[in-house]
Amino acid sequence: MDNIKIAATERSPELDFNFETNTFSLKGESYPEDVTDFFGNALKSLESHLEGLDGATIKFTFELIYFNSSSAKILMSLFDMLEETAEEGNTINIEWIYEADDDNMEELGEEFGEDLESANFKMKAIEG
Amino acid sequence: MLATDMYQFRNYLRETGIIFCYSGYMTEDILVGIGSAIKKKLTMDEEDRQTAKAVFSVFVEQVQNVIRYSAEKETKDDMTELRYGVLTVGREDNKVFVTCGNMIKNPDRDRLKEHLVAIQKMDKKELKQAWKDTLRGETPVGSKGAGVGFIDIARRARQGFDFDFSEVDDAFSFFTLKAYI
Repeated sequence: MDNIKIAATERSPELDFNFETNTFSLKGESYPEDVTDFFGNALKSLESHLEGLDGATIKFTFELIYFNSSSAKILMSLFDMLEETAEEGNTINIEWIYEADDDNMEELGEEFGEDLESANFKMKAIEG
Repeated sequence: MLATDMYQFRNYLRETGIIFCYSGYMTEDILVGIGSAIKKKLTMDEEDRQTAKAVFSVFVEQVQNVIRYSAEKETKDDMTELRYGVLTVGREDNKVFVTCGNMIKNPDRDRLKEHLVAIQKMDKKELKQAWKDTLRGETPVGSKGAGVGFIDIARRARQGFDFDFSEVDDAFSFFTLKAYI
């Protein structure tokens, strides 16, 4: 599968999906005009890639500054997808990076993380 | 006369605490433009970062509601459309408010009211659960986003929100939501 890399804009995150190394990241702001337009293809590729994995180790890094409610729906489906892949015997390491003074982004990370049972989840505060 | 009228209008806005005011067709470009000015103004005021981010977040959800759902719209044959709404952002009693108003169809009024009354009654924990359930659920019929915008606003509006409807005629009402941060 071809790797996908999309540069960040004022309102959409940097998206870096490397299917060879199994490292994935979303970084920046996320309130695109149309979330399906922005995330649709990348998520479809990711889903079919994850379905074919067996005993693999994956790293997914979230480093978001702000996301709107439509993007939250995308994130929720991503977390559920990763959890499912972990349940099927893969090692999934999710890292949620937030700026140390951003209580809300910390809370949102905890909220996404608390539903995970099979995937590993780590929060990391960085200086803003 | 021209300047007097405009000055009076500007004074009215200032007296009611309004810092930003936009009335017109709302587009995604306007969202980004006004959003960036709001961020800049709150930074200049040395507003704390949590408040500034919450204001921005409520602003985005409010404006995207107008762009997607306002019943006052112009549509062209090629499916492009423009939807009308009114937005104000200001300060009142040490709180920042984000108010948005737009036309809705009367048959939608009861459903919207019921939804908002239910959200107002929820505590923090219930809001979180409703937020998650809605994100995981099927997108509601007629929704162009996640259908979770008002729950999101309630979660970010630390000081609560008010809403109201004013019937315009048999077909339409004007809907307004004011969120306090």
